[in-house]
Amino acid sequence: MQEYREIRISREEIVPTALRMKHDGVFLAMIHGYIQKAGQVRVSYEYAVEPAIEAYYVVGETSLPSISDIYDTSASWPELELHELLGLEFEGLDTSKRLFLPEDMLETEGKGQILVKPLSELRETRENMEKE
Amino acid sequence: MSYIVPIGPYHPALEEPIHAKLYTEGEVIRDAEVFVGYNHRGIEKLATERNAIQTLVLVERVCGICSHSHALTYALAVEAINQLEVPRRGEYIRVITAELERLHSHFLWAGIALHIIGHDSMFMHTWDAREDIMDMLEELSGNRVNYAMVTIGGARRDISDEMRRSFEQRLDKLQKALDRVVELCVNDKTVALRTKGVGVMTTEEALRMGAVGPHARASGVDVDVRRDSPYSAYGDFEFKVPVLDSCDVYARVVVRLLECYESISIIKQALENLPSGPINLGNKLPKIKEGEHTSRHEAPRGQLIYKVVGDGGFNNQRVSIHVPSYKNTPTVPVMLRNNTVADAGLIIASIDPCFSCLDR
Repeated sequence: MQEYREIRISREEIVPTALRMKHDGVFLAMIHGYIQKAGQVRVSYEYAVEPAIEAYYVVGETSLPSISDIYDTSASWPELELHELLGLEFEGLDTSKRLFLPEDMLETEGKGQILVKPLSELRETRENMEKE
Repeated sequence: MSYIVPIGPYHPALEEPIHAKLYTEGEVIRDAEVFVGYNHRGIEKLATERNAIQTLVLVERVCGICSHSHALTYALAVEAINQLEVPRRGEYIRVITAELERLHSHFLWAGIALHIIGHDSMFMHTWDAREDIMDMLEELSGNRVNYAMVTIGGARRDISDEMRRSFEQRLDKLQKALDRVVELCVNDKTVALRTKGVGVMTTEEALRMGAVGPHARASGVDVDVRRDSPYSAYGDFEFKVPVLDSCDVYARVVVRLLECYESISIIKQALENLPSGPINLGNKLPKIKEGEHTSRHEAPRGQLIYKVVGDGGFNNQRVSIHVPSYKNTPTVPVMLRNNTVADAGLIIASIDPCFSCLDR
């Protein structure tokens, strides 16, 4: 079984953690995000500290500093995805171009935020769009 | 004179939809941009309304080539959350399927690469050899595309002694076909002229952009999850991780072909030492315990990552899927710069892209 460690950090620790990992030559495996049951968003920065994954996570922050200047596209693409699908803001990230969703997706000007809305609501919106 | 050459999203040269803009001066590409998302199916969202067994069926359909990789990585995450110990025989069968999948994926890619550079006779020989791998996968799983070999807690179908013997013979035959492809790719002047020094991504660029899999290993980055973070039964086998440092399309061809030898070796070791005992923990539908886990698997194209979050119920609270093409596609503009428009198709293909995987 692959080892997985979770470490809670504050918003202010995101950039220093990324700088430390980059300095140590650690690979940024991925940035994940989801809404917890209590309704707070949890964003997890997962680094491959071989043989384990170390997940540094923040809870309840909807505006986060971008680490794309440290980890280039391996950070900017997942940040853009979380911006589109979860509606999170990343300070310093260029969001002028969409990544996955069409510019006219739903009513949110390119931000479908489909991971936030219930599937039933998304289906209803889709049906209404098709009727129009 | 400067031109912008648009390619895709729908174009005869593309197997899957992607849009690229090439900023050219005459025949030379000065810069490029890629746009993805044309295959976005909301699979992560759909997974939140499914139980673990239904999710296996769903995630196998993320990709038509590495379907087993997706099911395996999802199962690894759920098993880690639920702290299940999979029977060794089940783990061996999973590894055999994963390596057969890697073989068919690399043979498929090598065939396409040879077709793109105009060597159609070798493309046909490569795909002819690949048919034997597809036959083995069909015999093993009953399917040619979505194998459905994984269940939570093990493998779904067993391997008979007769099948083991047959596979060993067919792998020997496959190795001979592989020798021929390698000999041609290493010695043929046409292949060398079209691939050497083309689409270079330096080691520094690969590390900066976080490239993964054979694409990174062809640029001198020594990474492989099977060795660096062993999972399933990979810790039981001896294998090498081929790494080259010429950083061009040629290196990407050779690295993948060398990996095929290692896959054949792993399958032979697994067939020879296949443990006895059950192949899974039964068919009971599992609840996913409260907790989360991130699992990784070295899929044919590189590191595949699944994060699964459970809340104690039958359904997933969140399934997050990040595929190798997610890391490798952003490197395409870097590789295209200062190459000619005629090589653009080959350079894009050299990362072995899967945009269905990427878009999910």
